[in-house]
Amino acid sequence: MGKALFITTMFIEFLQNQQLLLILISGIFTALAASFLGAFIVVKRMALVGDVLSHVALPGIGLALLINIDPIFGAAAFLLVAAFGTWFIEKKTALPPDAIIGTFFTATLALGVLLVPNQELFESMFGNIFAVRFSDAMVIVVVSVIIFILTLILSRRLTLSIAAPDLAKSIGAKPDNSYLVFLLLFALSVALGIKLIGSVLMGALTILPAVSARNLSWSLKSFLSFSVILGVLMTGLGIVIASAFNFPPGPTVILSGIVFFVISLFFKKHG
Amino acid sequence: MNNNVPILEVHGLSVAFNSEEVLKDISFSVSEGDVLAIIGPNGAGKTVLFRALMGLIPFDGEIKWRDSAQIGYVPQKLFEKAELPLTVKEFFILKSKKLFFKDKQFIKSIDHELKSVGLKPEILNQQLANLSRGQFQRVLIAWAILGHPNVLLFDEPTAGIDFVGEGNIYNLLHKLQDERGMTVLIISHDLNIVYRYADKVLCLNKEGLCFGEPKKALTTEQIERLYGESAFYHHHVH
Repeated sequence: MGKALFITTMFIEFLQNQQLLLILISGIFTALAASFLGAFIVVKRMALVGDVLSHVALPGIGLALLINIDPIFGAAAFLLVAAFGTWFIEKKTALPPDAIIGTFFTATLALGVLLVPNQELFESMFGNIFAVRFSDAMVIVVVSVIIFILTLILSRRLTLSIAAPDLAKSIGAKPDNSYLVFLLLFALSVALGIKLIGSVLMGALTILPAVSARNLSWSLKSFLSFSVILGVLMTGLGIVIASAFNFPPGPTVILSGIVFFVISLFFKKHG
Repeated sequence: MNNNVPILEVHGLSVAFNSEEVLKDISFSVSEGDVLAIIGPNGAGKTVLFRALMGLIPFDGEIKWRDSAQIGYVPQKLFEKAELPLTVKEFFILKSKKLFFKDKQFIKSIDHELKSVGLKPEILNQQLANLSRGQFQRVLIAWAILGHPNVLLFDEPTAGIDFVGEGNIYNLLHKLQDERGMTVLIISHDLNIVYRYADKVLCLNKEGLCFGEPKKALTTEQIERLYGESAFYHHHVH
């Protein structure tokens, strides 16, 4: 296929370019953490919460720019607080979390748009392929691996808490605690993706691989594996295309993910 | 077996959700190795009682388990089935104390429990969502008795369970009671079952209406009071 040849040629060129290699590695590790966590977000039916939560990054970025620190720290701080807030609201009230969080966090998006200067605003929302430096890539790789391992350790308890909270409690597990750790990990993973993918589209990077994987899978193991593999594939492919055509990386990654999703529909098993 | 000291004693148990009383001043006790049936109309607080007994929700009053009591719980249902892809084996492994690594001893005991609920090992590779209701119920029981608890809390599904040959769920519970000396608390919707299998019965409609041996405690008047007159025939004639 001509397209495959084209991509292969691009890929070889790519490896010769250190900056792009750096970006590819950052992207793949970002996807590794995000798509693994995303599998649980999808089966817990909290895709909306996950998506809206990522908007909280924006005022954090704005504030960080105002006081002149790296935006990723501002984003991470705001996201972690928002994740804790989400957990707290769900635990303490009987109100549906979607409604509260949807309203409250969308307001923070509005605030973020006012706070962040125009150029940075676009990059924060949709990613900038050239913003990733070597030090950023190092942080992304290390934190992603930590998130990945912690999620792996958490995954049995988390699955049981989602499937049957009462059964989880009946064997002495603490569903509330695993859920909190999970939300905090998710917040961190969104913060990691802001430079490359952008805050608006991190939600999609989290969810897309998982919904595609759900169509293909027959067990928990296959579901989690497909989710991670598809996340890495769509991000890799998206970045290659983005750098070839000088597109912003976030939208390109998401669109390549949509292609995988459409393909996965043909494999959908009913059950 | 020490039948004189109850394995569970409940005194003046009350549960309220948002100041609405769901359970009011319930008292009963269960001897080791007994089958206690809990009956009552929908919304009587039967499942709430179980959740309180397991310490999953806050309550007033006293729930005293013997120190040696280990509870296995069979819920009425799990999650929305199609959402989470899980094989039967994976579902069992979720109970493992090891959070990541394989536990060979644990996997062996899964086979053992499958056999004792009358399921074949082949079922392990099936998806949980594809099981028949009867198979699913047995899987839930096997899950609950994995690790040999001495008390079983069994929340029977409202709709009947489809039995295919090899005896029904109640024979199975009876077998567990005989072979392992398990104490069984069962929420039941079928009065025939209560008469046939239970040592004691607790009638519940937010408050405890009767408690004792089924033949003595479960008089016609009592059943009418519990379910209302019309419901009586529905429940009794099965």
